Amino acid sequence: MDPFDVEGGAINVRFLEANPTRAHFIIQNFNLETANSLRRYMLAEIPTLAIDVVEVLDNTSVLADEFICHRLGLIPLNSRGVDDLLYSRDCDCEGYCDNCSVVLTLNAKCTGNEIMKVYARDLVITSNPPNDAVGQPVITDREEQGSCIVKLRKGQAIHMRCIAKKGIAKEHAKWAPSAAIGFEYDPANKLHHLDLWYEGDDPKKEPVDQERINLDGGAPAEDEPFDYDAVPTRFFFDVETVGGLDPDQIVGRGIKGLQEKLAQVIHELTGTGGPEGDFGGAQSPTMNGGYNDAGYTTPGYGGGASSWGGNGGIVGGTTPYGQPTPGYGQDKPGW
Amino acid sequence: MNAPDRFELFLLDEGQKKVDQKDETRVPNTAVFTFNKEDHTLANLLSQRLLKYPYITFSAYKVPHPLFATFELRVSTDGSITPKDAIVKCCKDVIGDLDTLNRSFTTEWLGKRIVSEGDAERAARERGDY
Repeated sequence: MDPFDVEGGAINVRFLEANPTRAHFIIQNFNLETANSLRRYMLAEIPTLAIDVVEVLDNTSVLADEFICHRLGLIPLNSRGVDDLLYSRDCDCEGYCDNCSVVLTLNAKCTGNEIMKVYARDLVITSNPPNDAVGQPVITDREEQGSCIVKLRKGQAIHMRCIAKKGIAKEHAKWAPSAAIGFEYDPANKLHHLDLWYEGDDPKKEPVDQERINLDGGAPAEDEPFDYDAVPTRFFFDVETVGGLDPDQIVGRGIKGLQEKLAQVIHELTGTGGPEGDFGGAQSPTMNGGYNDAGYTTPGYGGGASSWGGNGGIVGGTTPYGQPTPGYGQDKPGW
Repeated sequence: MNAPDRFELFLLDEGQKKVDQKDETRVPNTAVFTFNKEDHTLANLLSQRLLKYPYITFSAYKVPHPLFATFELRVSTDGSITPKDAIVKCCKDVIGDLDTLNRSFTTEWLGKRIVSEGDAERAARERGDY
């Protein structure tokens, strides 16, 4: 048996690194299509908060209004608790309100002779957000200033009202929760999915990531015949956050969101359940999908197979998909 | 200037359905599903996953036009199950897999966090700054 795979064929995760900014892990006994969908979902479809509309009240700095507005949009804001906000388009209000936005005010004037820098920390929340966390500018540097927005000389001032809204990175990259998501499988290229480029005439001279190859079962033996039926089963993920969400939240919400997307397809095809009846009007992706009604709930992990359970005759699949892993909490709601 | 609004990539139009099914009349046990406001994330996941079931004889998708957020999934079965039920079954299985993954991820994350915090603390102690 694979020495790294203690779970004996079940889908499992192994961490290489876990800290407040990074989750570096391996998913084992997984499949490529689901792993890639998870990666794509985490990149593009996790809701976060970002400044979307800016009212420029005063700007005598050297930068143009739209230049500064663009910079403001890209400032990461704390998105923990963004679930308490509605999408602005789903809200009953006209424009924006406390239920669907956070207003931040930036007001700075340089009065001294030295050049003054305006930082992200100078953004002050001037509305009533639904919780304390959401909308605060992300500040991770030692000096606790955040990113620099503009520099002002004596007499120059900026005064802006920034309206931060909830959105997803499919609409604009400023809503992306992750700075980057590393994704790799088969580092030794045993499956020949890649035709690796090499300099000179000897591919063996090229540097390889030996550490990862060792984690993936080692380099292929010299005389090992090519396995035409081999499929990737081990996936390296490296999720790095910009600070708005914790890395484990990004992965957790990614998994949940993808499940909701699939639940929506089930709902649409079977016509069962669904809290909102038909899906007539334009709605945000996470608004619909009936994931809390009978057909979609997993009735307790401890007691036998979940309603998703069963193997379903996957070719060559002896893995008990959806079977409960003993020992994990019975009290988990929903999924 | 003429660019379509970006939210058209993921917001269903007024009255639009998420999935439209159209049975293929020329081939038995075959249907083409049009998914609206979805992209490769769902398309590849479903089409590739379906191929792993023994009763699926054909499964593939295409995006008819790259500027429109829609894809067509064509599914054929051997007749023991309808294409629609095959997709539903497939979705349920993927949800189950993701469930297992989520539980494993959560436990392992907590474990690793405790370990790395312990390491950091020990390193700080060894440096002498209590």
